[in-house]
Amino acid sequence: MKKLIAGVAAALMLAGCGGGGGGKADGDLTADKIELRFTWWGSDARHQRTQQVIDLWQKSHPNITIKGEFKEWNGYWDSLATTVAANDAPDVIQMDELYLASYAERGALLDLGTAGKNLSTTDFDANALATGAIDGKQYGLPTGVTTYSLVANTDLLAKYNVAVPDDSKWTWDDLKRIGGELSKASNGEVTGVQSWGFDIGGVNIWARQNGASLYSPDGKVAIPADVLAKYWQYLLDLSKQGIAPSASVSVERAGAGLDQSGTATNKSVFGTWWNSQLTSLAKASGQNLKLLKIPGESTATSPGAYYKPSMFWSISSRSKHPAEAAAFVNFLANTQEAADVLLTDRGIPANTKIRTALTGKLTGTDKAAAEFLDSVKVGEAPRVTPNGASDVEAILKRHTEEVLFERKTPQAAAESFIKELQAGIDAA
Amino acid sequence: MTDLRERTHKASVAVPQKEVRIPGSARSVAKHTGLILLTLVMLYPVIWMVASSLRPGEEIFRSPGLIPGSLEFSNYSEGWNALSSPFGHYLINSAIVVLGCIIGNLVSCSMAAYAFARLEFTGKKIWFAIMLGTIMLPIHVIIVPQYVMFSQFGWVNTFLPLIVPKLLATDAFFVFLMVQFIRGLPKELDEAARIDGAGHPRIFAQVILPLMLPALATTTIFTFIWTWNDFFSQLIYLTDPEMYTVPVALRSYVDATVSTSWGSMFAMSVVSLLPIFLAFLVGQRFLIKGIATTGIK
Amino acid sequence: MSAIGELQRLNTSTGGPPRKRDTRAARKRDTRAALLFLLPWFAGLLLITAGPVAASLVLGFTDYNLIQPPEFNGLENFERMLSDERLHNALRVTFTYVLVSVPLQLACALGLALLLDRGMRGLAFYRSAFYLPSLLGSSVAIAVLWRQIFGAEGLINQFLNVFGIQGTGWISDPDTALSTLIVLNVWTFGAPMVIFLAGLRQIPVMYYEAASIDGAGRWTQFRRITVPLLSPIIFFNLVLQIIHAFQSFTQAFVVSGGTGGPSDSTMFYTLYLYQRGFGSFDMGYASALAWLLLLIIAAFTAVNFWAAKRWVFYDD
Repeated sequence: MKKLIAGVAAALMLAGCGGGGGGKADGDLTADKIELRFTWWGSDARHQRTQQVIDLWQKSHPNITIKGEFKEWNGYWDSLATTVAANDAPDVIQMDELYLASYAERGALLDLGTAGKNLSTTDFDANALATGAIDGKQYGLPTGVTTYSLVANTDLLAKYNVAVPDDSKWTWDDLKRIGGELSKASNGEVTGVQSWGFDIGGVNIWARQNGASLYSPDGKVAIPADVLAKYWQYLLDLSKQGIAPSASVSVERAGAGLDQSGTATNKSVFGTWWNSQLTSLAKASGQNLKLLKIPGESTATSPGAYYKPSMFWSISSRSKHPAEAAAFVNFLANTQEAADVLLTDRGIPANTKIRTALTGKLTGTDKAAAEFLDSVKVGEAPRVTPNGASDVEAILKRHTEEVLFERKTPQAAAESFIKELQAGIDAA
Repeated sequence: MTDLRERTHKASVAVPQKEVRIPGSARSVAKHTGLILLTLVMLYPVIWMVASSLRPGEEIFRSPGLIPGSLEFSNYSEGWNALSSPFGHYLINSAIVVLGCIIGNLVSCSMAAYAFARLEFTGKKIWFAIMLGTIMLPIHVIIVPQYVMFSQFGWVNTFLPLIVPKLLATDAFFVFLMVQFIRGLPKELDEAARIDGAGHPRIFAQVILPLMLPALATTTIFTFIWTWNDFFSQLIYLTDPEMYTVPVALRSYVDATVSTSWGSMFAMSVVSLLPIFLAFLVGQRFLIKGIATTGIK
Repeated sequence: MSAIGELQRLNTSTGGPPRKRDTRAARKRDTRAALLFLLPWFAGLLLITAGPVAASLVLGFTDYNLIQPPEFNGLENFERMLSDERLHNALRVTFTYVLVSVPLQLACALGLALLLDRGMRGLAFYRSAFYLPSLLGSSVAIAVLWRQIFGAEGLINQFLNVFGIQGTGWISDPDTALSTLIVLNVWTFGAPMVIFLAGLRQIPVMYYEAASIDGAGRWTQFRRITVPLLSPIIFFNLVLQIIHAFQSFTQAFVVSGGTGGPSDSTMFYTLYLYQRGFGSFDMGYASALAWLLLLIIAAFTAVNFWAAKRWVFYDD
């Protein structure tokens, strides 16, 4: 049996170029004609921008051809897992915070710190840079940062004669009260708040404000069950008191994506979003939206807000051309000409020099989002999602659903969530 | 042999078309009303999609409904040019894959089906069971080892991993389908041909194949539609956007975390629906014309 | 009743022993021909199918996270299935789906095929209209379209609103989500309908003519002519639709955004398997799950074939 396994293993790993990369990551760039594969997920707008940047690179490096491969989110991860399994991974990979450790700790990603002169990280905010590092090795270079926020529809607030709350000292109770007023004033036309609990940001914030964190620094689940239970109790109250939509409407909107959310269709006045999503939301909504700081920060044990890396640039550890791949990432992350095309499509740049240069050029909601980011007081970034927990959002979503439909009490859901998440981490 | 074919042919011509009944007009009206209502229910989503492709993108979810405020054809022109190649490029890629798969399935599956339906050979039942068994494993656990294998062959990023398996009758669905059709054909035909001195290749080519036209038409239509819509294997094997097919390209408009170009997506969905709908319209005529196998028994 | 009488004669003749022509020489010739006809299929089996299938079987006995080499872990994956509550839920969901949606879909397909087979005005139009939904396949558009019908503000609830009934969000309510997927499956009955239509084309018209001259009613004709002569095709559709329903993936994936939600109420077996394999990098367990599914499907198919001896009529 063992021999058989070894045979299959050999057959599986043999594919592609067979083990480690060619050259060194800090070596000189080749003068030969080579080709690099570069993959990302996104929508057609991102594909177009990214292709323009590739064309720019091509002008200065005609011998290093970049082949762009774009996919939508789900297909992207299926495809990446398959190519990595077959030792046939693209050289430059757009990576997400959820998956970074799962790939890095299993040896699929290159430590960017070894790229030396080919890739500079000196202009990056140290806090942001830390989000891409595991055990002192830089596996991902953050493309941009975002922060959690409450998006308020000021047109609806004006319509129902409710003042824009003062976000420098509002609390979760304030949100509940104002939301209730709005639901009542509109006679059910809109709800005050859009339910959340379907992305991990909300849980992180809640835990941090209560002096806890979702994961401990060594990558175990660390959030106490009663803290998590209170979080779900809060969401359940919103839903049952008509402050947020009913369970089935909330679940439906959460599953439908940004364009069909309560915020985008002007059916909820407040919603939790990453600040970088403001422009997309405003475009879909057609009304005036304003970013507010998350409630509860002024009374919290420790600040809940943090910079989340919107995504990372990573390089395959099996790339045959690590030096050239690093140079290309350097071009994407550190040059003004690339930034001028990419703008804030992958978040507000984590490179502070680029961010300063860019902020002046932004207008409208893009500008508001960038200014908001600077105005938020953030704490240290939470630990990167541990290896084995890449499906945390699916687990979270399922438990939120069970709470909202009252199939599980918040306490029971909290205990089940912690157990399941920890089991995944232990198995990895 | 030839006269046998002629006989079959004549028989089919000689058979009067099914008698068109002329029912009482009230009954006819009721029946058609019912069918038209059913049609509307069946088609509502499709009509909604066409309507949505004709309205400005932001309006689709803000004010849903069937009647657009203004007709907007820009979704079509924008969607057509939104990706790295014009959408026509993906249509052509899909067409190549579809054509290869149709030829493959028609030739290889009908051959295998003839063997299973008409020949007596050792282990036939076991082989048949194995054939059915091959479609019982979900693709998600096959795809990784298969990808490894095809990448060893150097086939990744070509259409070969999509077409070659069809040339080798790996689509058991169609083999089984044709087996069932052939077993429904009267055996007297084979025997008559055998008495005329025909071997199996001739019986297959000159007796069975013409008679199983409905099954061949069905195979063609389904292969067309399923290949046209198949997403997963095309996503995995085609990595270069130059090689993308329609389903892979269609999903490139969608991103749940930022805004999706719904207008373009619906417009191109409508465009990509047209070829398969046309294929169906053409193909179904063969279903109607299917040779009636009468006058032999 | 002469046509029906003839049919019965044919029917009984199939039950008899194989004819004498099955001599040794004929069999030898058959085997040679079979090798020729099955050559592509054998090649495909050996070169394309066998390797990956065998690999997936071996991987079922390993811990394999896709990135690092697999490690042998004996029967651990199979032991884990016993206590995996989400798997048990997935089995429940899948069985419900198979047992409800397959008969419904086949009944609709056969009913419409019979209705449309008779020469009537607008035949081609209806046939195309009924087939159109099946053409959408797994298009991303399906998710959106389905929400337009079954969503909280969808067509159904707008209709119910007229009568003052406040409907739920049918897709996102765990009590009703699976039902909407069953409806979705029935809605795309076009594929089996077309196969039925093709099968009906093969039934000699003269049987019906003779039967109606003999005064047999529609129902008698259906029962004594259509069903027996169409039985190989009904059988085919039944076997294949069951296999497909067990493997049902795309519709649940698209409608639930890949989650199988709300709270696992549409978590089909293959969706769960996919989530383990690709979502949680647990391909060893996913492979083991796949082989369990294979055994389940094979058992159902075997029962089907065994039962077929009693009701499927072949002319050989």
